[in-house]
Amino acid sequence: MFPIVLLSVFAVVLLFLGFLKSRSVLLPATLLFLVAALVANFLDWNKTYLYFNSMLRTDNLSMVFTAIVLLSSFLVVALSGSFEDDEAAQPAEYYAIILFSLVGAIMMIGYENLVMLFVGVEILSVAMYILTGSDKRNLRSNEAALKYFLMGAFATGIMLFGMALLYGASGSFTLAGIASYASHAQQGLSLIFYVGLLMLLVGLLFKVSAAPFHFWTPDVYDGAPTIFTAYMSTVVKTAGFAALLHLLAASFTYVYSFWGIILAVVTAITLIAGNVTAVYQNSFKRMMAYSSISHAGYLLIGLAALSAQSRQAIVFYSLAYSIATISAFGVLMLVTRQRGMQTLSSNPLSNESFDAFNGLAKQNPLLGLAMATSMLSLAGIPLTAGFWGKFYMFSTAVERGQIWLLVVAVLMSAVGIYYYFRVIIAMYFRDGATEPIRISPVFRYVLVAAIILTIGLGVAPGLLQGLF
Amino acid sequence: MLSDFGTLLLFILAAFAFIALVLFGARFLRPDRPNIEKNSTYESGEEPVGNANIQFNIRFYVVALVFVLFDVELVFLFPWATVFGQARLIEATGGRWGWFALTEVILFVVVLALGLAYVWAKGYLDWVKPQPKLPTVETKVPMDLYKQVNERFK
Amino acid sequence: MQIGLLCALIPLLPLLGFVINGVGFRRVPTGLVGGIATLAVLASFLIVVSLFMSFPAEGGPQIVPLFDWISVGDLHIPFSFQIDQLSLLMLLVVTGVGTLIHLYSIGYMHHDEGFGKFMAFLNLFIFFMLLLVMGANYVIMFIGWEGVGLCSYLLIGFWNKNVSYNNAARKAFVMNRIGDLGFLLGIFTIINTFGTVEYVDVFKQATSLPMGDTTVLVIALLLFVGAMGKSAQVPLYTWLPDAMAGPTPVSALIHAATMVTAGIYMVVRSNVLYTLAPQALEVVGIIAIITALLAASIGLLQNDIKKVLAYSTVSQLGYMFLGLSATAYTAGMFHVITHAFFKALLFLGAGSVIHAMSNEQDIRKMGGLRKALPVTFITFAIGTWAISGLPPFAGFFSKDEILAHVFEHSKVLWALGVLGSGLTSFYMFRLLFLTFFGEFRGTAEQKHHLHESPATMTIPLIILAILSAVGGALNLPGGGWLSHFLEPIFEGSRQVNPEAFAESTIEHSTEYVLMAVSAGVALLALIAAYVMYISRKAVPASDEADRSMPEQVIYNKYYVDELYEAAIVRPIRSMGDTFYSFGEFAVDGLVNGVAWLVKQSSAQLRRLQSGSIGFYVFAMVLSIVLIFALRFFIRF
Repeated sequence: MFPIVLLSVFAVVLLFLGFLKSRSVLLPATLLFLVAALVANFLDWNKTYLYFNSMLRTDNLSMVFTAIVLLSSFLVVALSGSFEDDEAAQPAEYYAIILFSLVGAIMMIGYENLVMLFVGVEILSVAMYILTGSDKRNLRSNEAALKYFLMGAFATGIMLFGMALLYGASGSFTLAGIASYASHAQQGLSLIFYVGLLMLLVGLLFKVSAAPFHFWTPDVYDGAPTIFTAYMSTVVKTAGFAALLHLLAASFTYVYSFWGIILAVVTAITLIAGNVTAVYQNSFKRMMAYSSISHAGYLLIGLAALSAQSRQAIVFYSLAYSIATISAFGVLMLVTRQRGMQTLSSNPLSNESFDAFNGLAKQNPLLGLAMATSMLSLAGIPLTAGFWGKFYMFSTAVERGQIWLLVVAVLMSAVGIYYYFRVIIAMYFRDGATEPIRISPVFRYVLVAAIILTIGLGVAPGLLQGLF
Repeated sequence: MLSDFGTLLLFILAAFAFIALVLFGARFLRPDRPNIEKNSTYESGEEPVGNANIQFNIRFYVVALVFVLFDVELVFLFPWATVFGQARLIEATGGRWGWFALTEVILFVVVLALGLAYVWAKGYLDWVKPQPKLPTVETKVPMDLYKQVNERFK
Repeated sequence: MQIGLLCALIPLLPLLGFVINGVGFRRVPTGLVGGIATLAVLASFLIVVSLFMSFPAEGGPQIVPLFDWISVGDLHIPFSFQIDQLSLLMLLVVTGVGTLIHLYSIGYMHHDEGFGKFMAFLNLFIFFMLLLVMGANYVIMFIGWEGVGLCSYLLIGFWNKNVSYNNAARKAFVMNRIGDLGFLLGIFTIINTFGTVEYVDVFKQATSLPMGDTTVLVIALLLFVGAMGKSAQVPLYTWLPDAMAGPTPVSALIHAATMVTAGIYMVVRSNVLYTLAPQALEVVGIIAIITALLAASIGLLQNDIKKVLAYSTVSQLGYMFLGLSATAYTAGMFHVITHAFFKALLFLGAGSVIHAMSNEQDIRKMGGLRKALPVTFITFAIGTWAISGLPPFAGFFSKDEILAHVFEHSKVLWALGVLGSGLTSFYMFRLLFLTFFGEFRGTAEQKHHLHESPATMTIPLIILAILSAVGGALNLPGGGWLSHFLEPIFEGSRQVNPEAFAESTIEHSTEYVLMAVSAGVALLALIAAYVMYISRKAVPASDEADRSMPEQVIYNKYYVDELYEAAIVRPIRSMGDTFYSFGEFAVDGLVNGVAWLVKQSSAQLRRLQSGSIGFYVFAMVLSIVLIFALRFFIRF
């Protein structure tokens, strides 16, 4: 609750800070605002509140999700380097939009009423459309924004229709009201209710890029400026899964037998589509897009099983995934910025390919280490946070007895190792351009922090579990 | 004493009077030099007659956006007035209810006004006139010749 | 909180030292390196002493939880330390002896170019050793266990330019892994049986089990396999003599005083489990006596000063396990402590000799050093006296207590133990006489260089010598301080098997006779050594000299290394080769086939991503329709 208010005010302030001559104040101000929001987030710790006539809710789970979202955006903003080298950029507006979108994300995390969910999704999505197209002179960025907007609008329509049908069936927009309606599942519910539920699910699954609603993801992630891709693939995903988790756990546990199998099938398709397609990619950024689809698949395992452990599993997984993804994109930005200028290649794709990482680890051990750590974490190798994330996810599936899903997931993580290790092999075992890359201190701190967090959580996963 | 509809009638009358006053006042102040363009129907500078499927200037959308924003703001003010404007509550709280409601709505308007101020300050409301640059070509052929050729094969 | 902070500081300080010296290697000035490392351990030692002072005499274990570490399902593994009598004793030994050896290393390693790295590794070792000792559950012990193994590997191969040193390091590492596998399986069995790895909970549950429970037997045996690796018991002992490739302080700290006793610590820690499984104890006893005798006999003919000490360490470890096998846990721990004193002393003394002899380790080239190295000589002599089990020094009391308990248990084992004690006495005095008495047999240049070591090296020697001399007072026969102090640790064992802990049934007179016998045998061995090496001035023959058949066998360490090479290493290697060529065809084909399949399907799936929005939306709608069909038209 506090973060919503604070971030709204801060975002407006930030817009007007943009009128200052110097851009250098923007980055520290944004980071300060995010930290303030993060601190304010925990003011309600261990208390449960309902705000605005039960529109919003804060409890420990929502605060932890909010903290993950804020932490991710803190790291992303820190990596953005205040867009120094881009004259046409409008950093004040970008940062303000990020803060506004965070408001939407927090609403998606803490909603107690479908209307708030819709408002949250829209605030977040509209902000994302803008950020995707923020590189105005780049055709690919424009294309991505338009695609994202069109398909997003389509999905929003479906979602809204679903909400309307749910309201029609249950006579309530609140999660509690819907849950009390669904609790009469034994006597039979109206068909409208089920149709509404499916449509709402489809809308949300689109937002978290689950297959077969994932087609927008590679094009959009590829076209958007890398920094915003990092933001999209972490914050939007975390918020989307928090929303799905809350929706299913609070309102639809009574009709699990109806949607459980659908989610399980969607999970399997997502895992296969994401992992298998990623194998063939030559662009690192596009590979990361498919990898983000596959991680949506892993996160869906916890939802499809929806057991007592699911909350913990999803929290842990989103954190592990966000940290690793952000540091991977951070390294990618440094590498493309540096090598892109040297190669002067006419094909903008070429400097985001795997070859750009050749021999990186020799001259830039920190970058190599950061990238290797995050790749290992994403692949789920032990002693990294990603391993425990997958472990918790898989154990929820075991608890539910979804062994076939588990088999698919394990096979697909084996496939995942293939494409994640391509980067590591390129960095450590190939020869390539070996000039050291200049790393600004902020970058260095963020990367080191990401490494420490990933390995720390991998060694002592219990640290986070004590939280809620 | 006026009935409720009487109040309404007063409003309507006042509105008409206002319009009349403004138009009349303007008549005295403005210069009066009509031409065809000025006398045609006002459609923000676009041709009022013809194919509607043409490319509009992108700036219209910005203005329209800002306009819609404030339209919606106005729509919000009506329910605000009816929901919060309750004499009983105002009396029961010694007027604090009224001040609270007023502060809330002022905040709401101020946020939107800030947005307007931002757009204004950024210059997004300025209408930039297109300044077509005619290419100058170094050639010995006089311009009249081209004109003649164009005329002939029109 | 106070105690929690203190406990956390104990391992953190050495870790800090490691980080400073490790990260700042080549940047921290050499003068500071030693100071930082030593102070870190010294500070830990002082904290331990303060904890020890304030620890209530009869107090139960204090658990210091630091944080929740792993929780999976019902299994919760907190990161916590356990402070009780046993861990306090080990802490005192580790940090106390550790401090002295750090101090010694300043003098010994000062000129080495890797000095900073060396001190950093030593600190890291202390950190892991403290984790091993302080951990409140088997998993933390395992981390420490693996950590000390890693440090041992790093330090044995410290002079990594020498291939044979690297091979020695690798041998130690591999042999230890075999033991660790047993330990790990033991931990898994514990988790499976008790559902927890916390000592307190495991032992509480174990006390309610019947004697001779099969699961406990399995656990005890598996854990002992771990102990066999770490504490160098037959058949996993061969790495320890080779480990002498490391710098001498390392041999003293890791391969004599602390790490190798981890196995004994583990058995004592799990005493309830072992008391419950008498068969396991019998196995321990048999392996222990074999180890003790085998190592002692090999020690008789070794000519490398450090190798002799190494085999004596293996043999003494055998004695400790022998004590444990007779449920004399206190006696075992007592020997651990006294052994830490005199073996560290002997190694450091040997280091001082090697230092003086310009890195010469062959005792055939020494002799008459007592004049040149008076401090080293006196302290070394005290150490020798102590290890030989001659009164009144520490070794006498601890070894005697073990033998007394063994006597109660089995007369045969006792007799063999006394024999081993005699062998120990013989080869230790042989070493002493050959090194410090007689004529100098080295080159003239070495003679010219002979000098007493600097104070940083002699001070630890003197302190350790004093401790070796008076250490026996810790546990005088007939209910000493130590046995009283450690009593709460064995409460559980006493509960499950009261007979094993009943008052000694031996008469006092018998006990004195036993003492007299073992001391007498040791004295006889001393005299024999004196006659051979001082009166007759015998010098061991060179490597090429002809030897009688049994001598030849012992001189070559019973050909155990060759046996392992022929029986294990070669078959495994050829098996590996076979599998490799098999893999060339079948496995590679399978793997490549799968990879090919994935790549092909990837290439096909990729086509779905056409970039056309119309297709995307169509695919979405189609999927929605399919989902609806799945849910509403096909019921399952």
